[in-house]
Parts: sequence; C-alpha cells; structure tokens
Amino acid sequence: MIELCDVTKTYNPQGAPVHALYQANLRVNEGEFAAIVGPSGSGKSTLLSVIGAMNPPTQGSMLVDGIDVYSLSVEKQADFRHEYLGFVFQQLQLLPYLTALENVLLGLAIARMRRADKVQRAREVLARVGLAGKEDRLPGELSGGEQGRVAVGRALVNEPPLILADEPTGNLDSNTGVQILTLLQELNAAGHTVLMVTHDAQATTYAQRIIPILDGRLVDGDHDITKNENPAINGNGKR
Amino acid sequence: MRLYDISLKGLRRRLGRMLLLLLSLATAVATLVTLVTITRSMNHSVAHRMDEFGANIVIVPQASDLAVSYGGITVGSAAYDVGVLMLADLEPIGSIRNARNVSVLAPKLVSAVSLESREVLMAGVIFPDEIRLKQWWQVHGAYPVGATDAPVATLGGHRAMAQMEAGVSGADQAVLGSRLAHELGLAPGDMLVVEGRNLQIVGVLEENGSQDDQILFVDLTLAQQIAHRPGEINLVEIAALCSDCPVEELVRQISEVLPQGRVTAVRQAVTLRAETVDQLTRFAVVVSAVVTLIGGLIVLTTMLGAVTERRHEIGLFRALGFRRAHIERVILGEALVISLAGGIVGWAAGMGVVALLRPTIDELAMTSPWDPALALAALGGTLVVGLAGSLYPALRAAALDPVTALRAL
Ligand SMILES: Nc1ncnc2c1ncn2[C@@H]1O[C@H](COP(=O)(O)OP(=O)(O)OP(=O)(O)O)[C@@H](O)[C@H]1O
Ligand SMILES: [Mg+2]
Repeated sequence: MIELCDVTKTYNPQGAPVHALYQANLRVNEGEFAAIVGPSGSGKSTLLSVIGAMNPPTQGSMLVDGIDVYSLSVEKQADFRHEYLGFVFQQLQLLPYLTALENVLLGLAIARMRRADKVQRAREVLARVGLAGKEDRLPGELSGGEQGRVAVGRALVNEPPLILADEPTGNLDSNTGVQILTLLQELNAAGHTVLMVTHDAQATTYAQRIIPILDGRLVDGDHDITKNENPAINGNGKR
Repeated sequence: MRLYDISLKGLRRRLGRMLLLLLSLATAVATLVTLVTITRSMNHSVAHRMDEFGANIVIVPQASDLAVSYGGITVGSAAYDVGVLMLADLEPIGSIRNARNVSVLAPKLVSAVSLESREVLMAGVIFPDEIRLKQWWQVHGAYPVGATDAPVATLGGHRAMAQMEAGVSGADQAVLGSRLAHELGLAPGDMLVVEGRNLQIVGVLEENGSQDDQILFVDLTLAQQIAHRPGEINLVEIAALCSDCPVEELVRQISEVLPQGRVTAVRQAVTLRAETVDQLTRFAVVVSAVVTLIGGLIVLTTMLGAVTERRHEIGLFRALGFRRAHIERVILGEALVISLAGGIVGWAAGMGVVALLRPTIDELAMTSPWDPALALAALGGTLVVGLAGSLYPALRAAALDPVTALRAL
C-alpha cells in the first residue's frame, strides 16, 4: 500500500542541517496496524507527515498504490489526503467553537455529498466512536477521552483506507488512552490500515507491528509482534 | 458543514473584530454615498438650471456712449441713442457654431417715458422669452395674453421675427415692477396712460430687489411704437448654458455675426457657483479615493491578522484535504459577507445622512437622492474593495504549509 524509498528529510538545509529522516525505507501493507516507536525528536512526526502527503521529502519518494504522491500537484496532494487519509493529531486539533458533530463534519466539508447525507454520516460515525447523544457538545464540554474520540471520528468520517495517528494517547491518562487504542484496533479490524506514532510502551501492545525509529533512521528490529513469543504482550495486543 | 458554513462560523467566532471591520467599511461607504449624492445633485442643478440664474451675456448697441443703467448693466442711453441695433440683426446668432448652447435670448428696448409727470423706465420685452430668462419672477394678477405661450424653442431672433409678422396679442397690456406700482398706487386691472396710449395693467411683479421693481414692462412692439423706434432694440440678455464651452468663446462667436452690437460676458452668480461645485466635485473625488484606499487597507490588515491568528486552523483544513482554492474560498467568503453587509449598512447610513442634510442643502431638496444605480455602485464598490483587500490574505492563507502551521501551537 505505502512504500517509502530512501526517503531523507532535511530541515534547515542552509544552516545547520537536521536529518529528521535519513534514507528511510518502509513498506506498510493494507490492513496493518503498525506503531512507529522512538524517543522524542527521533523523527516520528516527520515520518508521519511525509506519509501524510503534507511534507515533501528532501530526497527519495513515496508510492501509494504505485503512485508517487509527491509528483502530483499540490491540489492533487490535497485530494489524496482527503480521499486516502484520516489524521488523528497529537493535540487532537478540535476547533473549540464547533460542536462534536460540526468538528466531525469538517472532515466532509469539501466532500461532494448532500448536506443531509453528511449529517447522517457524521452522526453514524459519532455513534460508532461511542458519542451518540453528545453531538451538540462543544469540545470544552467533553472529557479528554471523548475529545479523542471526536478526533478519531473526524479522521474516520470520509472512510479513508489509511488512518494516521500521532500520539493519540499522548495527553490522556492510561484509562482513556486505552479507549482510544481499542477504538483504533476496532477500526483496523474493520479494514482500515492504521499507522500510529507513539513512545508509550503500553500503546505499542495494541499494534501488530512495531517500526522503531532512532535519529531519523528506521533501525533494524522492525518486527511483527503477532509472531512474538511473549504471551503477555501478545495477549495485551489481542485484547 | 460546507465551506460557506466555515466562513460564517469563522465570522461568528471573531464577531467583535469583524463588526469593527464592517463598521469601517460602512463608514467609508456612507461617506462616499453622501459625497456622491451631494455633488451630483449640485452638478445636476447647476447644469440644468443655469438659465434660472439669468443672463450671462448681454448685447448693447456698439455706438452708445451715454449711459442708462439697467440691472447693473450699462445700457445705451434711453434718450440719446446714437447707434442702432435692430431686432432683425439678431437672426444670425441662430447659426453660430455653439447656437445650441444659447438657451434664452431676450431682446428689449429700454427707454425713458414720462408717467404722471415723472420719468420712468419702460422696457419693451418679448414676454415669453423674458419670463423664461427671469424664472424668479412672481406675478400678482397675470402676465399679458400670450406671454406664457409655449416656451421658446427656437432662438429669440426667429421668434421675435415671427411675432412681429403675426402681430402680438396682449399688445396693450403692461406689467409693473412692485415699487413702481406702489409709488403710482396702481394694481392689476387699473389703466395707465403712456405717451397718449391706454395700457391695461394685468400684473404686478413681486418685489425681487432688482431694478425690475422700478420698471414698466410692455410688449416690445408697443414700446417701439411709443418710442417711435420701430424694429429697434438696445439691450439683449442671453442665458447660455456653457458647461462644455467657455462663455468667452460664445461672446466671440456672437460678436462675429453682430458687428453693430457690443457683446459682453457677465460673470454672474451661477458661473461662480459652477466653479465652486467643480471644486467640490474634485474634492469629493480625492476624498473618495482616499476613503476607498483606507477602506482597502483596513480590510487588508484585518484579514491578514485573522489569517495569522487562524494559521493553525488553516493548517488543519489543509491536512484534512482542503485544496488551496478551498482555503481561498473560505477567506474570500468571509470577506464577501462582511463587504455585502458593510455596503448595505453604509449605503443606508449614507442615505440617512443625505436625508438629514436635505433641508439645509437646496440642491438636495431639488433632486431625488433615491438612485438604484448608486445603491448598486455602493454595494459593488464595497464588494470589490473588500475582495481586493482580502485577496492577498487569502493567497497567504492558501500558501501556508500545513506541517508548519500545525506545529505552531
Ligand atoms: N519544521 C522544522 N524545522 C526544523 N527542524 C525541525 C522541523 N520539524 C522537526 N524538526 C526537527 O527534526 C527532528 C525530528 O522532529 P519530529 O517532530 O519528527 O520528532 P518526533 O519524533 O515527532 O518528536 P516528539 O516525540 O517530541 O514529537 C527534531 O530534531 C526536530 O527538532
Ligand atoms: Mg512528534
């Protein structure tokens, strides 16, 4: 599904260059739930934004279903984001002045659908993330976990094949974090490919695959934890 | 939720600042609407009522040297004319190049007659032309029969000739200036004997402060008979409408065809007024330009500020797959709503100001300020300024890098 070929992303190319990503090669297959794991500043968000068609690499290319996304025009890249991707941001990025329903509807704002169909779809999505009855609450009137679910709902509403989540549990206590992770797991089970960034050890247990990153390099050890012998981790992950 | 909803929500969110922007635009529009309405009505009244202000060219016989003053204009001596000017001499004026600028041509024969043992000035006039020239005249009683006939469409010369041939009705009827009537104790309906001829007074002019208050007005032909000067005139007053040609040029053209007359331009109130209005118009244009520019700059800075403030939100929209064009539409959509509202409010406020000023500015009272074209122009102009001022902010917003924008928390 996604193929990164020798992707290097260098910030400040004139001054002191920072290789946020260095010659990264990665394949993410359809239906996977993968966790990108690494310490702070290792380039996780950069990797996610490159895959998210928002951050053109300095070198290398990214193919999605065989198409080199960054060779498309900016507007086509935007269309790609709209049709292929759902983002769950680290800071959630809900607009505080819009209700839960309206925040979810933002994901459909440019979709060519009838207004009533959009509202219908957004309500269904909110029900699916367990927020039925709270459609008209503002983010400030929702708990942290509920806000996270609105963010997931927004990522989900245009039914993207790929969901990109940057530290979806970052601001949450472990209980509410688990709710979000479970939700992502359910979405993965329902056919969405999920790519999640985390530095939270507990979170990695929900993924099928761990992609370690260190100083911008995808280091060896990329492994499928479904094949991991440790039953404790396995059991957690399969919950 | 559509782009347009996002625009509206964005406006609601920054309601205070957007209302301020709306108010700025509305103030600018109100200023422009007021200025345009006032200057337009002034220009309109100057151009269309020039003849109301009387003559701006006079012709007297070339050879006259002794003076009788009439209306502040020195005319040939009533008693001792040397040179002569005939009514028929005026005919060529009809064929000068700017003939169509001559709106009224009022020839007369002014002479002194004795009336109840005192000297009074008698003016022989062609009443329709005279009345058209002196639109401020108000008469008690009536004008002579035929005096208010169909307005003079052709030049006085032609008309006078035609009148002479046809013979004039109301020939023995006279109109008196108010002071003269008062001094002689005469009123409409009374009879008067002038040089042995019986005249019926049909009207007395209301006092207007000019020399007309002292004058006896009779038909030109009658005056010529009384003075034994058939066909002769010694004063012609002309009202020329000259917004596109200098009066001096008209004077030159008339002098060319009328060598026996002395043609002079009279600098009268309306000329001064026209110049004032011209200056006011130029001033209005400058003010309008400045106000428009300031309006555009206010839109520019406000919208730029809004974009900077919302770059984070815009980054989110871009991440969600909004095209650059979508972002532009959101920003310009907000500008559109603000401009429309500003245009409507401003136009209404401007018309309000005009309504308040109406009693104090004569010209405003004379013309109707309700002009749909002005309303459309106000709306269209505000839209153009609002959108033009928002174009750069919109482009800036669209060009925001989503990754950078989202990081900037
Ligand atoms: N826009 C930028 N300009 C310059 N340097 C940047 C920029 N974005 C990221 N970097 C640098 O690139 C490196 C990787 O950043 P990135 O945000 O991808 O790390 P991360 O793994 O997501 O960290 P964290 O866990 O703290 O979110 C860091 O050293 C960071 O300072
Ligand atoms: Mg990060």
